Amino acid sequence: MVFSPDLISGVLGFLFTILILSYLIGDNPLFRAAVYIFVGVASGYAAAVIWWQVVVPRLLTPLLPAILTGSLAEKIFILVPLLGAGFILMKISPRLAGMARITMAFLVGVGAAVIIAGALIGTLIPQVEATINFFDPQAAAARNIGLAEALANGTIILVGTVTSLLYFHFGARPQADGSMRRFWLIEIIALAGRVFIGITLGVIFAGVYAAALTALIERISSLVNFLGNL
Amino acid sequence: MRVFTAVIAIAAGVIVLGGYFFPALTPVQTLLLNWAIILTGFAALVGIFNLIAVHTDKVRRAEKGSLYSALLVIALVATLIFGLILRPQHSFMQVALNGIILPVEAALMGLLSVSLLYAAIRLLRRRMDIMSVVFIITAVIIFLGSATLPFGDVPVIGTLIRPWVSQIWALGGARGLLIGVALGMLTTGLRVLFGADRPYGGN
Repeated sequence: MVFSPDLISGVLGFLFTILILSYLIGDNPLFRAAVYIFVGVASGYAAAVIWWQVVVPRLLTPLLPAILTGSLAEKIFILVPLLGAGFILMKISPRLAGMARITMAFLVGVGAAVIIAGALIGTLIPQVEATINFFDPQAAAARNIGLAEALANGTIILVGTVTSLLYFHFGARPQADGSMRRFWLIEIIALAGRVFIGITLGVIFAGVYAAALTALIERISSLVNFLGNL
Repeated sequence: MRVFTAVIAIAAGVIVLGGYFFPALTPVQTLLLNWAIILTGFAALVGIFNLIAVHTDKVRRAEKGSLYSALLVIALVATLIFGLILRPQHSFMQVALNGIILPVEAALMGLLSVSLLYAAIRLLRRRMDIMSVVFIITAVIIFLGSATLPFGDVPVIGTLIRPWVSQIWALGGARGLLIGVALGMLTTGLRVLFGADRPYGGN
């Protein structure tokens, strides 16, 4: 008797879904076992993907040609990450773990630069531009929106943006009674910010809840289908 | 060593950041990013090796819950060995993906629906302030407005209020939060590039 991969996937999926959903009756050993196996399989799968899709094509495959026939620059370009990888692997040994700082410093520096560029080019400038565009009469006309409606919506968004940002201003001054309190104007603006943040989190909550409910329905449907096909 | 690591972090960061604004630096930036991808891969592998080491140690000491740790180590090592030999595209690895990883992720996501409902009820019972009330009312409006009912959308709420709340009012708050997060990221990144923060070791 030959078991097809689809059949094995179906049986495993059925079993693990039951084990995970058993958490609904309370924390139990079966749920824990399923979660630990999941973490193990997912980590092993991730390690295999990293090996075959990052390490082999970017480091190991070009290594031999670069060393045998490459120019000096090509040799350096491939040997530097190899050296860095060696430093990182020293983290495994407690005595040599300090050497990994060199590679970690490089990664943190590159990461910081990518974060700065991402925050600036990917978030700050586009978000500010999008807020300004709500007050552009030509953009409103292109979207078939009246000028008054565009201005009203733009004002709500601008007020929401500014008050939400100011909600996180926590600078406070000492009062006569010794307590620390924010400036009264900031308090009023922060109150408006709380309302806007409450609305935003409510919409996000509804979206996440709808996605979670969809996943639950899909899992229950897969259980019913599996039993029906037996 | 402290000064050396700081110099490496700042130099790498400045060159990569410069590559976004000065085209002459783009080839060097691409090279450094390629190195960073390789080294991040190795860092992840070391992290997974550490996971094996920690749980193997728990099993060796026969600590509480060591049976679960044994399951984790067996599952991890087996998947890793088969993955290294057969490659992730092999049908055996696809069984692990479609039979364990995806169903467990979806089932955990499904459990989240119960947890979220419970958390929302607890929020109303424990903290009844303006933000909680606005939060719950908004969530209810969005649910009612998005519900697929036999007769179509709920009048006014589904056609008028829900789009207005989610596309205008929520956008204002979301934009404020996004800009705040971006400013925080910018500050954190600049502190690293100026050498004020050294999370790679050294004060």
